[in-house]
Amino acid sequence: MKSYIWLQTVDGSIQQVEQEIAMFCPMICHEVIQKGMGSSKNYAISLPQQVNPAMLSLILDYCRFHQLPGRSNKERKSFDEKFIRMDTKRLCELTSAADSLQLKPLVDLTSRALARIIEGKAPEEIREIFHLPDDLTEEEKLEPLKNATDDPRIRLLNRLYAKKRKELKEREKLKVTGLLISMFQNVEVDEELVDDRSVDDLLSFINGDDGDSKGIKTSKSKKKNRRRKDLLKSTSAHEATKNHNKESNGLNSVCRSAEVGQILPGVGATTNLQDVEDDIFPNKNEFDDGDIDDEIDPTLKEKIDREVEDFARRLNSDWPERMQEILSLGQEKKPVHLSLNGKGS
Amino acid sequence: MDDVMSRDLISDLPQSIIESILTRLPIRDAVRTSILSSKWRYKWATLTQLVFDEKCVILSNDRCKVEDGLVNFITRTLFLHQGPIHKFQLTTTHLQCCPDIDQWLLFLSRNDIKELVLELGEGEWFRVPSCLFNCKKLTRLDLFRCEFDPPPTFKGFLCLKSLNLHQVLVSPEAIESLISGCPLLESLALSYFDSLALTIRAPNLKFLCLEGEFKDICLENTPLLVAMSVAMYMTDDIAEHFEQSSTCNFNRFLGGVPRLERLIGHIYFTKFLSIGDDLGRLPITYAHLKVVELNQVSFEDMKEILVVLRLITNSPNLRELQISGSSNTLAAIDAPDLDFWEDECPSNCTFKQLRVVRMTDMSGVPHEMEFIKFLLANSPALETMSISPCVYVMDGRLNMLIELLRFRRASAQAEILFIQD
Repeated sequence: MKSYIWLQTVDGSIQQVEQEIAMFCPMICHEVIQKGMGSSKNYAISLPQQVNPAMLSLILDYCRFHQLPGRSNKERKSFDEKFIRMDTKRLCELTSAADSLQLKPLVDLTSRALARIIEGKAPEEIREIFHLPDDLTEEEKLEPLKNATDDPRIRLLNRLYAKKRKELKEREKLKVTGLLISMFQNVEVDEELVDDRSVDDLLSFINGDDGDSKGIKTSKSKKKNRRRKDLLKSTSAHEATKNHNKESNGLNSVCRSAEVGQILPGVGATTNLQDVEDDIFPNKNEFDDGDIDDEIDPTLKEKIDREVEDFARRLNSDWPERMQEILSLGQEKKPVHLSLNGKGS
Repeated sequence: MDDVMSRDLISDLPQSIIESILTRLPIRDAVRTSILSSKWRYKWATLTQLVFDEKCVILSNDRCKVEDGLVNFITRTLFLHQGPIHKFQLTTTHLQCCPDIDQWLLFLSRNDIKELVLELGEGEWFRVPSCLFNCKKLTRLDLFRCEFDPPPTFKGFLCLKSLNLHQVLVSPEAIESLISGCPLLESLALSYFDSLALTIRAPNLKFLCLEGEFKDICLENTPLLVAMSVAMYMTDDIAEHFEQSSTCNFNRFLGGVPRLERLIGHIYFTKFLSIGDDLGRLPITYAHLKVVELNQVSFEDMKEILVVLRLITNSPNLRELQISGSSNTLAAIDAPDLDFWEDECPSNCTFKQLRVVRMTDMSGVPHEMEFIKFLLANSPALETMSISPCVYVMDGRLNMLIELLRFRRASAQAEILFIQD
């Protein structure tokens, strides 16, 4: 006379399973022994929500095979190899379901299969297989071998190119750039206006089209600081050579922010803009530092560069004293940046 | 957009499963998952097992580049890691004596390291820094090609269960006190030592593996020993030194291991055991001994044959026996004392559980044949007896076969397999 255990899956359906098969799962075993559940339809054991009927059926197949003591190791291995052949989605669901039932041998088996899937694949492939969102910005990766050259200038150049690529896209959408610059020419800096805008506002303005402002902002501070330092170091070095502009980095970042974000770069805290500047480098992970974007039309590039220079000069001429003031304020707040900036000037 | 299709399949699995998956990846792939998506940024950083080897870096012919690459990778991984590190394994031929290793060990000693495996390259051996001796939670220590010099205040690793020292420069007193100072030690492996004289006191020791030139070994306190494998490379002067001594090596070595289940002896093991005065009846019975493998037994040396007999006649539950003969068939100094087998050999012993016997490298010398005859006559449960002649013996094979045919078999199911090469 076989005894059965009653199980209820998350969708409400109830089924009965032979006792020795069901008891192979520690969670079910626990429910039966400790709580006396599962003996009848009314007292069916409620399985965790990860166990839908399809998963339950798979798990029971596994249990049915392995609970027989007479199987040889070879047979078990061979069964496992065949059992594990399924699409990735089901494999993940099965892992989750097996874990909720505390069936460790099956969890190990599925983990091994998932590891085999991941091993040796490029990030894009892995993202595609598992439907992972590609929501990381260009941050320091632990891949000492990926940078073909370690020269920070080349890395910065690559970043700038990518940034310009992005900026060109945005320019098409927002035709406000020219408008802002002309606004700037006419209006003396309305400092209060600029100062009031919080970094978040600036960010959401910049990233409005991307629809993904949060992800970028919440990067860990440890990484951000490191990258910021690197960036500034190389930024100042690069900008110095690029623009022959011996002004401090504060200005340069200001300029760049302007062209990218169409924001009045405040004369507000230079430091805040450093934050903004970091975050608006929306380089994707596919972006390999070794690649240089050939798509940007060199004439267009020159045009952009010239605009940057013009803007810088304009700022310098208009409020030299003001800039000094701002910079000295900035200096008190975050000496680190300016000492790095000093490197470039 | 179809929500179900684009739903993330894997990032929301419990961290224990993610770790289970990441641990099964080579460390480089595991760390690379940090660029998959924002959720995966630090999933790898809490892994408690870090296994580094040369696959972490792209191989190139430039040795310096590989070394630097490996050092950088490990340093950065440790720097970005969060939380305790329970296992750290480094296997490489490229790093030997490198100051970075000291720093890593210091970092690990502050992070509750439990298992440490350092397998370094040839060349200048790495001197283990003193911070290693502060790793209180160490349960496993494997060192290859290092210098091991414990400070005088070092008492031992109180949690250590497994110790493996391979080509390690260490003084004998240090090893002895280390072994005695690790009360929980269950597995001990010492290989490639020069002229080591060792007394092992390890009340919880279950597995012992010795390989190298040992001057002397004594198992003084190892009552729980379950399996041992011993390969003793004896030089001639060590053998001479032994001839002088009168202590019975057999008793000193195998006298205190009643729970022994597997015994594997490689070259010179039986010779080592044969040295010393025979103290008569063995005080213990190896009631659990099931598998015995003795290699390079010289059947021309009566004393070695006595050792083998002594061992198997005190093992009532022996199931498997494998013996390989010594292939240096020196001319016998005196005529083999074949009367021994009739007169002195214990005749009332039966190997009730013996199922499988493998005799390899047989030269067909008289004692070998008598031994086989002895086994066949006293093994009622025998299933297979396989005999492989030594490759150098071509002519004697037919004689061997003729004799084998004659032998009486106590077991009706016994198959005798003569395996030609």
